[in-house]
Amino acid sequence: MNVLLCSIKTLKGLYDISGVEVGQHFYWQIGSFQVHAQVLITSWVVIAILLGSAIIAVRNPQTIPTDGQNFFEYVLEFIRDVSKTQIGEEYGPWVPFIGTMFLFIFVSNWSGALLPWKIIQLPHGELAAPTNDINTTVALALLTSVAYFYAGLSKKGLSYFGKYIQPTPILLPINILEDFTKPLSLSFRLFGNILADELVVVVLVSLVPLVVPIPVMFLGLFTSGIQALIFATLAAAYIGESMEGHH
Amino acid sequence: MKNVTDSFLSLGYWPSAGSFGFNTDIFATNLINLSVVLGVLIFFGKGVLSDLLDNRKQRILKTIQNSEELREAALDQLEKARARLRKVEIEADQFRMTGYSEIEREKLNLINATSKTLEQLENYKNETIHFEQQRAINQVRQRVFQQALQGALGTLNSCLNNELHLRTISTNIGMFGTVKEITD
Repeated sequence: MNVLLCSIKTLKGLYDISGVEVGQHFYWQIGSFQVHAQVLITSWVVIAILLGSAIIAVRNPQTIPTDGQNFFEYVLEFIRDVSKTQIGEEYGPWVPFIGTMFLFIFVSNWSGALLPWKIIQLPHGELAAPTNDINTTVALALLTSVAYFYAGLSKKGLSYFGKYIQPTPILLPINILEDFTKPLSLSFRLFGNILADELVVVVLVSLVPLVVPIPVMFLGLFTSGIQALIFATLAAAYIGESMEGHH
Repeated sequence: MKNVTDSFLSLGYWPSAGSFGFNTDIFATNLINLSVVLGVLIFFGKGVLSDLLDNRKQRILKTIQNSEELREAALDQLEKARARLRKVEIEADQFRMTGYSEIEREKLNLINATSKTLEQLENYKNETIHFEQQRAINQVRQRVFQQALQGALGTLNSCLNNELHLRTISTNIGMFGTVKEITD
């Protein structure tokens, strides 16, 4: 009996330490919509970080870039490089879109892995990376869909839909299906990776609070960066694919 | 035993924090691990990042220097070209000046020659006029003389009688005589 009680006490203590909460959301009622407030809050923080750092970096632009400006120019160069390799010659107008995607996802992921969100307690749920929630990733993926449709239609007009019967009309169902699988795979890939990262870290923390989660956290950082890059690259690739002409 | 089930029950029940607040539990918030991760990230990342950014800065500096040098060279060339243009312009001016003066001189020469010819022609004309005048005067004079002689002859023929004839002849003879004496 005593042993049992003891073990139960440790279990309870463990539970107190871990407090894993999955599927718990802090809801706000906006109109007739229920929104996940924790996602909104962290998104705002991410947006504030991005806008603030960008504004600070370009507040005093110089010909020979200093630290902050240099870093942001490097990031911009990187994004341009990615969009150029994926979209091709007419990548110019799409750099802002790809850059927004990449930076938002990257900073979201890294904020989830690096910022001590759990210091702040919510009435329900807990703060985590915005990409930890499927709504965010679906929104980003749908934006990508809209973007590549717009790119194709504005470039080729209605003949854009000719690509559905390329190379043969037999592939029409598969080509149509592709339009649905693209955002689906984009959103689920990002969501799954980030959620898995955070869950692994949380579970490991609940088991062994110190040292052991650190390698997994580094792995999480790595994966987060890779996921952001993959999302941006795929979005650019889809846009480039819908814009490329075969004439 | 009831305690056990209670505990399990409480395990199955998700407690809610109730309201906003701060979680001060160092383990639950994972602060230590986070700070370690951040520290390692900053420690290693800083070197890599600063290397990267330094390289980029150096590249930009080099590019700027290169273009600066190119600009210098281009400016030099422009200056040289300008100098040459100036020289050529001066030469062209000189050529034009000498050409003008030559033309001027030619013109003067021509004018002089023409005026000389003109003068000569004028002289000729004057001489011709003079000559013609002289001739006309001579003719007039001859005619007048002839008429006077005819008149005199008429007068002589009409008024000459024997006596007067003889007297004249003798006078003339006398005159010739004196002339002969003088010549002798």
